[in-house]
Amino acid sequence: MSITIALAGNPNSGKTTLFNDLTGSSQYVGNWPGVTVEKKEGRLKGHKDVVIQDLPGIYSLSPYTLEEVVARSYLVKEKPDAILNIVDGTNIERNLYLTTQLIELGIPVVVAVNMMDLVRKNGDRIDTNKLGEALGCKVVEMSALKGQGSLEAAEAAIAAAQEKKQGEHPHVFTGSVEHAIAHIEESIQGRVDAQVLRWHAVKLFERDEKELQELQLAQDLKTHIEQHIADCEKELDDDAESIITNQRYAYISRVIDRAVKKKASRHALSVSDKIDRIVTNRILALPIFVVVMWAVYTIAMGGTKVSIGTMATDWTNDVLVSEWICGNLGAWMEAIGCAPWLTGLVVDGIVAGVGAVIGFVPQMLVLFFLLAILEDVGYMARIAFIMDRIFRRFGLSGKSFIPMLVATGCGVPGIMASRTIENDRDRKMTIMTTGFIPCGAKMPIIGLFAGALFGGSGWIATSAYFIGVGAVIVSGIILKKTKLFAGDPAPFVMELPAYHIPSAKNVLHATWERGWSFIKRAGTVILASSVVLWFLQGFGFVDGVFGMVEDNNTSLLASVGNVVAPVFAPLGFGTWQGAVATFTGLIAKENVVATFGVLYGFAEVAEDGAEIWTLLAGDFTALTAYSFMIFNLLCAPCFAAIGAIKREMNNAKWTWIAIGYMCGFAYVVAMIVYQLGMVFAGHFGVGTVVALLLLAGLVYLLLRKNKYQDSELRVPVRSVAAK
Amino acid sequence: MMPLTMAQPGQTVVIRKVTGKDEVRQHLAELGFVVEEAVTVISVIGGNLICKVKDSRVALNRDMACRIMI
Ligand SMILES: Nc1nc2c(ncn2[C@@H]2O[C@H](COP(=O)(O)OP(=O)(O)O)[C@@H](O)[C@H]2O)c(=O)[nH]1
Ligand SMILES: [Mg+2]
Repeated sequence: MSITIALAGNPNSGKTTLFNDLTGSSQYVGNWPGVTVEKKEGRLKGHKDVVIQDLPGIYSLSPYTLEEVVARSYLVKEKPDAILNIVDGTNIERNLYLTTQLIELGIPVVVAVNMMDLVRKNGDRIDTNKLGEALGCKVVEMSALKGQGSLEAAEAAIAAAQEKKQGEHPHVFTGSVEHAIAHIEESIQGRVDAQVLRWHAVKLFERDEKELQELQLAQDLKTHIEQHIADCEKELDDDAESIITNQRYAYISRVIDRAVKKKASRHALSVSDKIDRIVTNRILALPIFVVVMWAVYTIAMGGTKVSIGTMATDWTNDVLVSEWICGNLGAWMEAIGCAPWLTGLVVDGIVAGVGAVIGFVPQMLVLFFLLAILEDVGYMARIAFIMDRIFRRFGLSGKSFIPMLVATGCGVPGIMASRTIENDRDRKMTIMTTGFIPCGAKMPIIGLFAGALFGGSGWIATSAYFIGVGAVIVSGIILKKTKLFAGDPAPFVMELPAYHIPSAKNVLHATWERGWSFIKRAGTVILASSVVLWFLQGFGFVDGVFGMVEDNNTSLLASVGNVVAPVFAPLGFGTWQGAVATFTGLIAKENVVATFGVLYGFAEVAEDGAEIWTLLAGDFTALTAYSFMIFNLLCAPCFAAIGAIKREMNNAKWTWIAIGYMCGFAYVVAMIVYQLGMVFAGHFGVGTVVALLLLAGLVYLLLRKNKYQDSELRVPVRSVAAK
Repeated sequence: MMPLTMAQPGQTVVIRKVTGKDEVRQHLAELGFVVEEAVTVISVIGGNLICKVKDSRVALNRDMACRIMI
């Protein structure tokens, strides 16, 4: 028979680190709360019949965040054989709060005090025997990061599961509360398993809504219970929920007094606090943030001597792809006498398409690497705090900033990072707007047009970022005034991890995880779509006969593109090439450049497509190019990101709202820019009028009064729990 | 009594009361903000603050900090 052991504990207590150590897998370990959202299963190394279940971090069993909902329903409903409760030894008092709830669940619990390396370094002492006696369960020491004591902890949990022994419930509450709880237990006896009687009774005492709903008690029973609660509240002059909370803490502090010896006084400032005094200082916080971000982007994407990312990308494009692969491959294939169509397919189709994307990988990896360091050090969590004040002005929370930062690399992990946002509406809004941020894959589009039509001006890339950020802000303001998103952003509360030296393993793992999805796309979707594209643009019907075409204006692709093209005419790029490129951009944004490369029949296109600049300049004007760029930057993101939106929204309606909104917004903005730009060129027509009306509409949506402002004072944080 | 936002960086104060009656207060309690607990303010930016409570650092925005009376 197999045994399931659930890892439960506060966020950042080291559950995932332990999980990876025990199961040999490599789940993402992040130094900020809320990285693990789904539960993950794995088998204990060397024990095939033991399943280890990683759970999201929780502060208590009263669900507040989405993660807490996941963890609570797992523990209460699916009932693992044992719970291994990971406790952060450096913050033991707060961590034990959850422990006092877990031991009420009637499932064998083993407490593993983690981060013992830090506890010892601080000179503190924890007496696990005394702790165990007080809590009524086994307590072991551990340092998951160093792999010390991990296996022993797992074995203790297995033993507890096999014994099925439940410890005596410690006397956490005072006389009158225990009295009320005993009465409640009596009245619901038989309705719930004897094991979980106490848990349900305590929950009823707290008047937990979910609990009341689920138990469906008769009215007289409810009144009877309510009487006991009210008596107790009156006696202690406090509300039931606070009574329970306060008594849990009071109990813990009695236990701690006996079992834990701290060297430094609790209110002495640690190194981490001293760093925070500077980094999150009223005056210095923003300048430091700007400098850090500037350094990150300069190193990853800038054009200076320290821009490792750019240098590696240039090398890949100019040497690896152009010289080594392209030049040699074409010559070699001709030399061995390959059929011209095959050489064409490989060189003009595959290499042109995939090469455009591969060049981008080094820059991505450098960016993700630097962001991973900021994250593991603990700075990311501070960024959320610093940015909260600014983001709140347009209806987002500081926590929305991290997804957007990650999205400058790739939208998929960016959208996934939105999970840390507790409030349902804030999370949805973040998911909807994160796609506007110019991700790494959109950079080639910008590079292409900047080079072809704007003389390589750096302003184009800069303006692209402004457009992206502007779209986020404008959308934030507009959406917040609609019924769907009405209400203030949820109040910001976030535990900040202590600063620590980044661990090479965590940083490399995070870099690889995010970078790999990028590389995988190049090898799969982009490869396949380049082949399909090459075929569609190279073949067609000429005089009723199917075959290879000389002029790709007569190709299959052109016929299809021509059907869709009129839709984009009001935006200025109603050509079949423009339509096709926009569509392939949905497969992956880098594909836009690859598409122009294949369409203009060039053997190889560098990342910024330098070879096709002149051809492109013939088909686009500065204005149509800019409009095309805006539309492609803001419209629906690539399929991979749409998939991420769908997963995170977990709801078809919301997925469509998000995609529809993005496309609509992109269309409107591109049209306004194009049509009003045309006015400067002396054109005035129906399009101008429509554009002016749209602009007026946009301004109205931005400036109108928010009629939902004060209608809803309470923030429905628990709306996620209702699902 | 005054709200926590009035405390200066570096100051250690004792919580007298946490106002409001909803899940937000419960969440604050789970994080350690309970009556008679001491908090040390580490930094304040425009009413948002980072403070130390029960050995952990928690960032709070102004609305939240205003509910904590010292
Ligand atoms: N010093 C030290 N750090 C640890 C230990 N266990 C985990 N960590 C670090 O604590 C942070 C949070 O770990 P994680 O496993 O993601 O925690 P989770 O949120 O509970 O899954 C990471 O930066 C880990 O490297 C430990 O035993 N000692
Ligand atoms: Mg985790």
